[in-house]
Amino acid sequence: MKKILLAACALSLCTVGILNAQSLTSVTYSIAFPTGDVSDFVGKTSFRGISFDYHRLVQPNIGVGVSFAWNVFYQEKGYDTYTVDNASLSGKQWRYSNHVPMFASVNYYLKPGEQINPFVGMGIGTIYSRRNTDMNLYTIRQEAWNFGLQPTIGFLYRGSDETSVHVSARYNYGFKAGSELQEAQSYISLNLGFTFGRM
Amino acid sequence: MKRNLYRILGAIGVALLVMGCYPSGPEYIDDLDVVYTKFDEQFDFQSKGTFALPDAIVVDVKIKNGDTTWVYMKDVYALPILASIEDHLQAQGWERVGIDQNPDMVVTPAGISSTTYFYSYWYDWWYGGWYPGWGWYYPPYYTVSSYTTGTLMIAMADPTVDSPINRSQAAWIAAMSGVLTSSGNIDRILKAIDQSFQQSPYLKIN
Repeated sequence: MKKILLAACALSLCTVGILNAQSLTSVTYSIAFPTGDVSDFVGKTSFRGISFDYHRLVQPNIGVGVSFAWNVFYQEKGYDTYTVDNASLSGKQWRYSNHVPMFASVNYYLKPGEQINPFVGMGIGTIYSRRNTDMNLYTIRQEAWNFGLQPTIGFLYRGSDETSVHVSARYNYGFKAGSELQEAQSYISLNLGFTFGRM
Repeated sequence: MKRNLYRILGAIGVALLVMGCYPSGPEYIDDLDVVYTKFDEQFDFQSKGTFALPDAIVVDVKIKNGDTTWVYMKDVYALPILASIEDHLQAQGWERVGIDQNPDMVVTPAGISSTTYFYSYWYDWWYGGWYPGWGWYYPPYYTVSSYTTGTLMIAMADPTVDSPINRSQAAWIAAMSGVLTSSGNIDRILKAIDQSFQQSPYLKIN
């Protein structure tokens, strides 16, 4: 997972390199709230996440680009007994749910050039999900590449000519995949950070 | 240029922060203890009432030149384990009898341990190329680490069940597994035995 993060960092550095006045690059801290199947597995809010966005402004108010993020949910379950049919297993469990949304996205900026610039966006792409259930010395790993959609709302608060505070909420929805993780994987992320680039 | 540098440093900083926060896992060795039980759904425990239990626990079997030798767990560990199994069964309504008194069930505990070794080595090197005849010098360094897991199995079987291989299928099995320490403390295994009976209510016949 750390490798994926490093790759994401490397990619963001590349995007930093090609920055110009007609693009917006965002780096945000991402808090995530599990929904659906993810919530059944790990009920706790995730305070471990990061997201990177790069959008090229094809119109003053339309940005086309990519969005990457990494969110990890974690929960330590107390000593419990899990029974399936005629077998029971007792012990402590550690549950990890990693999600890496990778989307091509379009943002529509409502008030470009103004102090507060709200925007809405939609991403289409994939979410890589990896779920680990650790018990004793073993881990059960389940993976999925879900086709996904990512509606976004948020705003940019301009701090200086090229730097804005970025606040956004995203619904990351990965549709059912026919792989190890059968169910749809979804969560809501709240992103706080900075956007670089002139509107 | 300077601004780009700040951005790069910022991105790296945030990434390191997030990686540093990656959640940890178990903290104590007994966090890893697990208890597994399984029973035969067709088996009628209620129609049985007596059991036989050996006085020792087998931990290894050695076969040398056709001779089979059983290796037993030390009494200091085995006796409390056997006593715990007996107490639990009696509390559930079972009566202990000798193996020669036609017991309804035979209960056989066994201990298994397995050690996993991690082995790595690397070469340090030193080059003294100035002097003729000296060259690459490779003193090897080895590191070995290991952990040992222990499993106590308890099988409960009806010795009268007829089968083509002269063996009875277990009506109930329990397996307790954990990482062994050198403390000689068997509280963890006694706790696991308690748990194995607690999660097997179908064994209660009284």
